[in-house]
Amino acid sequence: MIRLNNVSFSYEKGFGLSNINLDVSEGEFAFLIGPTGSGKTTLLRLIYMDLLPDSGQVEVLGHKSPKIKKNSIPFLRRRIGMVFQDYQLLDDRNLFDNVALALHVIGDDTADIYDRVMDALNDVGLSGKEQHYPSELSGGEQQRACIARAMVKEPELILADEPTGNVDPVAAYELVKLLEEINNEGTAVLMASHNYGLIKGRGHRIIEMQEGGIRRS
Amino acid sequence: MDQLLFLIIEGARNLWRHKLTALGAVFSVFFTLFLIGVLLVMNDNTDKLINYFRGKYKIEVFFNESVSNEQASKLVKNIRTIPGVRSTTLISKEDAMSIFKSQFDEDVMELLGYNPFPASCVVNVIKQKNVSLSVEPIIHRIKSLDGVSEVHYQGRLIKRIESYFQKFLKAITYLSGVVLVISIIIISNTIRLTIYSKKELIRALKLIGATKLFIQVPFMVEAMIHGLIGAVLASVTIAGSVIFVNAKLGVLYNVSLELNGIIIALWLTGIGLFISLLGSQRAIARFLK
Repeated sequence: MIRLNNVSFSYEKGFGLSNINLDVSEGEFAFLIGPTGSGKTTLLRLIYMDLLPDSGQVEVLGHKSPKIKKNSIPFLRRRIGMVFQDYQLLDDRNLFDNVALALHVIGDDTADIYDRVMDALNDVGLSGKEQHYPSELSGGEQQRACIARAMVKEPELILADEPTGNVDPVAAYELVKLLEEINNEGTAVLMASHNYGLIKGRGHRIIEMQEGGIRRS
Repeated sequence: MDQLLFLIIEGARNLWRHKLTALGAVFSVFFTLFLIGVLLVMNDNTDKLINYFRGKYKIEVFFNESVSNEQASKLVKNIRTIPGVRSTTLISKEDAMSIFKSQFDEDVMELLGYNPFPASCVVNVIKQKNVSLSVEPIIHRIKSLDGVSEVHYQGRLIKRIESYFQKFLKAITYLSGVVLVISIIIISNTIRLTIYSKKELIRALKLIGATKLFIQVPFMVEAMIHGLIGAVLASVTIAGSVIFVNAKLGVLYNVSLELNGIIIALWLTGIGLFISLLGSQRAIARFLK
């Protein structure tokens, strides 16, 4: 599903990643851990092709960079659900519209959108809050809405970049549980976190990053 | 189809979601279209104004005293064949005497015992659209006719009016071009600001797999609505201004401005849509790289 071969990437201002080799299989749940600045976000950005490698090859769901055509990238992203630490919800529309946007992008029938959005909100425990705006929700609720937006299109892979970074420990625990439930349905999950306490003992693969390289996988 | 409908509705809803920035964009479209509309109205009415002034000047031809009314009539027929002459009016010796009497209330026959007035004629020239009037060749041909004594015409005034007319036409043309370029820059900058305020939306859309077209269409719809509202407001304001000016001019000078309302509204709508779309495309291109 995800394969990185000798991937290196460097930012204009400094070091990024060096010689990364990694495989993630279909339906796998893996944590990506490491201190701030170790390269977790850069690795995720390479996977959803927001960045293209300087050398080596990133292969995700059959798409290979750096050869990928720019107009193919949106079609790759439609098969990936993304969850961010800062949620990336749109403040100017309610929860329903935020989640529905992901289905409009893939061209889903309007008749189906209502049911699918309501199901997704129900699955993340936000039933009844579909008319609320993001600013009216707590951090944990916003992150769950973000997960609903990621899962509503039934992606093959979910990339979560520090999804628990802005929420309290209880909400963080519930978010990980939610991602595990999604994973149980067959969706692969790659979740970046620097909170080792949260992820240890959960029985999932741990990929440890340090200074732009993979220390343990 | 569902997706296209969603994108069109999304564009319209964005206007409501971002009322203040939309208001700024509409105002800037309105202001520039109003300027362009004023230029269009001025251009339409330039001919009318010039014709008004041209109607005021005429060439007066006086024949020798020895020329009889019959001979004068033949000369007038000759003058009418000169290229550029629109019409002629013969003033016989008797007509001239009557005019004198009506203006000065004096009977020349009683004072002098004979009619001293020569026969004459008034020559009106053809008014050509957007072309400078050249009366010199006409004057030259008239003077060359046997029996013509004097030719009076407001040559200097005519030349000055024609010269101002030509300068005015040039100025209007340049000004229209400058206003169009400035308006495209102003509108694209205003739209760029409104799009900048939505860069989070563009980022989120890119991350969930939206294509460039999917991202662009709502902005294009929004820009078209800006252009349409701006064009409607500008057309209504121009129509109102012309009605107001005509009310004032009509009382003072018995003149009125012409307004081809539908043509101007169509022009403004076309220009409004063009510059709004161009502006939005320029602005959004930066965020889609």
